[in-house]
Amino acid sequence: MELELNTVQQIIEIVGEDNVLTNLEERICYSYDGTFQRGIPELVVFPANTQEVAEIVKLANKEKFPVFPRGAGTGLSGGSIPMSSGVALVLTRMNKIKEINSEDMLAVLEPGVITGHFNQEVEKLGLYYPPDPASLKTCTMGGNIAENAGGPRAFKYGVTKDYVLGLEVVTPQGEIMHTGGRTVKNVTGYDLTRLLTGSEGTLGIITEITVRLLPKPKEIRTALVIFDKLEDAASSVTAIIRNGVIPATLELMDQIAIKCVENFNHLGLPLDAEAVLLIEVDGGKNQVEEDIISIEEICQNHHCRKIHIASLAEEREKLWKARRAVSSAIVQLKPTKISEDATVPRSKIPEMVKRLREIASKYNLHIPVFGHAGDGNLHPNILADKNNKEEMERVQKAVDEIFHAALELRGTLSGEHGIGIMKKPYLQWELGEVGIEYLRAIKRAVDPNNILNPGKVF
Amino acid sequence: MLSRKIIDELTAVLGKENVLTEKEELACYSFDATADMPQSMPDVFVTPTCTEEVQKVVEIASKNKVPVYTRGSGTNLSGGTIPLKNGIVMGMVKMNKILEIDAENLNAVVQPGVIIQDLNDAVAKHGLIYPPDPGTVKTATMGGSVAECSGGLRGLKYGVTKDYVMGLEVVLANGKVMRCGGKTVKNVTAYDMVKLFVGSEGTLGIITEIIVKLIPAPETRKSFLASFKSLDDAANSITGIIASKVIPATLEIMDNATIKTVENYAHVGLPTDAEAILLIEVDGLPEVVAKEAQAVEKVCKENNGQLKVAETDEERDNLWTARRAALPALAQVSPTTVLEDATVPRSEIPKMLKALQEIAGKYDLKIGTFGHAGDGNLHPTILTDERNKEEMERVHKAVDEIFDAALKLGGTLSGEHGIGMAKMKYLENEFKEAGVEALRSIKKALDPENILNPGKIIDLEG
Repeated sequence: MELELNTVQQIIEIVGEDNVLTNLEERICYSYDGTFQRGIPELVVFPANTQEVAEIVKLANKEKFPVFPRGAGTGLSGGSIPMSSGVALVLTRMNKIKEINSEDMLAVLEPGVITGHFNQEVEKLGLYYPPDPASLKTCTMGGNIAENAGGPRAFKYGVTKDYVLGLEVVTPQGEIMHTGGRTVKNVTGYDLTRLLTGSEGTLGIITEITVRLLPKPKEIRTALVIFDKLEDAASSVTAIIRNGVIPATLELMDQIAIKCVENFNHLGLPLDAEAVLLIEVDGGKNQVEEDIISIEEICQNHHCRKIHIASLAEEREKLWKARRAVSSAIVQLKPTKISEDATVPRSKIPEMVKRLREIASKYNLHIPVFGHAGDGNLHPNILADKNNKEEMERVQKAVDEIFHAALELRGTLSGEHGIGIMKKPYLQWELGEVGIEYLRAIKRAVDPNNILNPGKVF
Repeated sequence: MLSRKIIDELTAVLGKENVLTEKEELACYSFDATADMPQSMPDVFVTPTCTEEVQKVVEIASKNKVPVYTRGSGTNLSGGTIPLKNGIVMGMVKMNKILEIDAENLNAVVQPGVIIQDLNDAVAKHGLIYPPDPGTVKTATMGGSVAECSGGLRGLKYGVTKDYVMGLEVVLANGKVMRCGGKTVKNVTAYDMVKLFVGSEGTLGIITEIIVKLIPAPETRKSFLASFKSLDDAANSITGIIASKVIPATLEIMDNATIKTVENYAHVGLPTDAEAILLIEVDGLPEVVAKEAQAVEKVCKENNGQLKVAETDEERDNLWTARRAALPALAQVSPTTVLEDATVPRSEIPKMLKALQEIAGKYDLKIGTFGHAGDGNLHPTILTDERNKEEMERVHKAVDEIFDAALKLGGTLSGEHGIGMAKMKYLENEFKEAGVEALRSIKKALDPENILNPGKIIDLEG
């Protein structure tokens, strides 16, 4: 389908000429996200406020063109890809933090606010917004909510959905709706706030967000633990939790990930180690000290080679540098990265790690494994070259098996990336025909013309 | 009335012992714990014992277009379980098994009829707790508290029921079984159907199995009673405690009317001359508790509070007995207690307390206020007599104004009791037309024949 010239003109009248991109070269910039999927939109539009978003969506219903809402495009499931048609609606101009309220411990902001920037602003006031997806320096809060982003701290603090109190949303019909509010407790009607969080832009466009904040933890200690055997690292994870220690983060990197990172920014990681754990504890002074001692003991009992402990911000940052670099560093091996986030109950981590290794060798693929071991959310990344057809076929088979393994261990397809386009084919394995029909019924009920982000999730 | 044929079909599926039709028996299921609500008799009361039986009941209901009202212990406070349009009341109390306690992954799998306290007793052996603790924790069922998303005394620090539900098995309006969520802490596979069901008050599906998150039990705790000569001082202490970055597990308030009534009922030594008291509990590691306790003491003293620390377990139990006695004590004073749970942002508590006093004065009513001050969830309780028509008119006007006040302060109609029948007419005040339409379209899509708990939350005709 093609947008009528008249329609384009009406959109320009709504947002102004400066806020519409029509050139192919410019539109290509909005054709992708963090995956290898592509789809060039017919028009890229940057609304300035809720009213403009509502008017565009109303027009979309009248003229029946699809609208693909988008933040910074860092998604890892193809969720924001315009399916080669319609309007990419980029919300980055709506980037004001409207309120940070210490008394009620909440903040109100627009969807285009960068997550990392927001973190910094609240920390200045001694407050804390825990969700920290790896892309926090570029990704937007609106995108985080639409995808229900996680991050390393989710182990102790939960994911985005645990912090969203209320939303202003433009419905698929172009009406402005408010859900939730400024109270921690709210059971008025169905929980539309939670339904919209993680709905990947298919049920409404988020135009204002109210999030809950916490007091900033007083002390933080970070430990980098090196293991000769991957299995020992994995069983340390379960042992730490069994001992009642709840670290803020509990991250795992396997040998391939270590090698890539070391090659990428020379941090002095041992290349012969099979795994490292990056563990961070936070809280009161005594508590973090007690926790770090328990962690040391447990890791030693599980035959770790060495432990580095850092308490100063600078040293801690150095340890974290390794973990944050993984996702970029591993692309050295092969140009195409298929990043998965199949998640298992955390006691199944050792079993899942074992199965991932078997899958890698069965299909002769590079699959570095890293991720949030504490909450069972590993990131097996398959590295391949999408121009190599034969290899991509093996990749496909490996992905199938990874999802099979996760579901067999009573896990889920996606811990934090969402379904988007990439995991659509597998949805039925987890939810069955009944579940998918249920999702469809909801979507059809609120978006009968299928205007918002069509072709995603199911 | 249901035809004999339908009753026979139900009996064939469930057995005679699980199908009640005698009027005396049915009368027990014609009401719940909510005051000022119409009673309505079910045609039949059934007690399925497994998911397959629930499915079959729903299939029969769907085929014959008969409403199904799911019910746990009937302790809810918004008229959510009243069988408004007769039909089938389905009691879940026989599905009361704890299926699994998975200490390693910090979760448990239960059937809906499990009593909340029984789950807590069972997980205590593993050093774990299930934090949501509505006032009725000893009688309420897990299924009911998930359907209503109950809160409780520990909501401030630990959140409400929805924060602990990880996965559900649900029988849908078409009789099919759906599983959503699961045993992983993270799950973003498609829409969050788990959270959609939690708090949907039995209007979207019937919960037949629940996976809940558990947490390690706090090592120590310390409880205080702080009494104040003025409501303002008490209210300022609440915001002061939070502003000093202490999040107590519990932070409860009682006004003078409530204090007097409770003392008269339970004789636990509450200061009857105080305008307000705060009941505060901090928990966690010993050193954290000590530090937080200091901060709490400091703030209360700065606001002219008199502080009493519970030194022994017995003293602590006494304090919490007093709090849990608030509702029964108030209920004993007058034949009818209209209990609301309008909730405001924490910083607006002083204004809300003042508004409640004004409303009580304006309509010449006795309103006792207590509740979860820490999370802004107050329980203004109007003491009245439903046989007194003139007074009830004033009560209804006062309730209207309470909701108006809460919404004006950026609050919500219901913090933890749900909408049910009791608050339906106010829904649009909060959700506006677009929101109500969204709720309505979801209900219509998922229960097209409107057989699941019809007449609750939203008016479908609207």
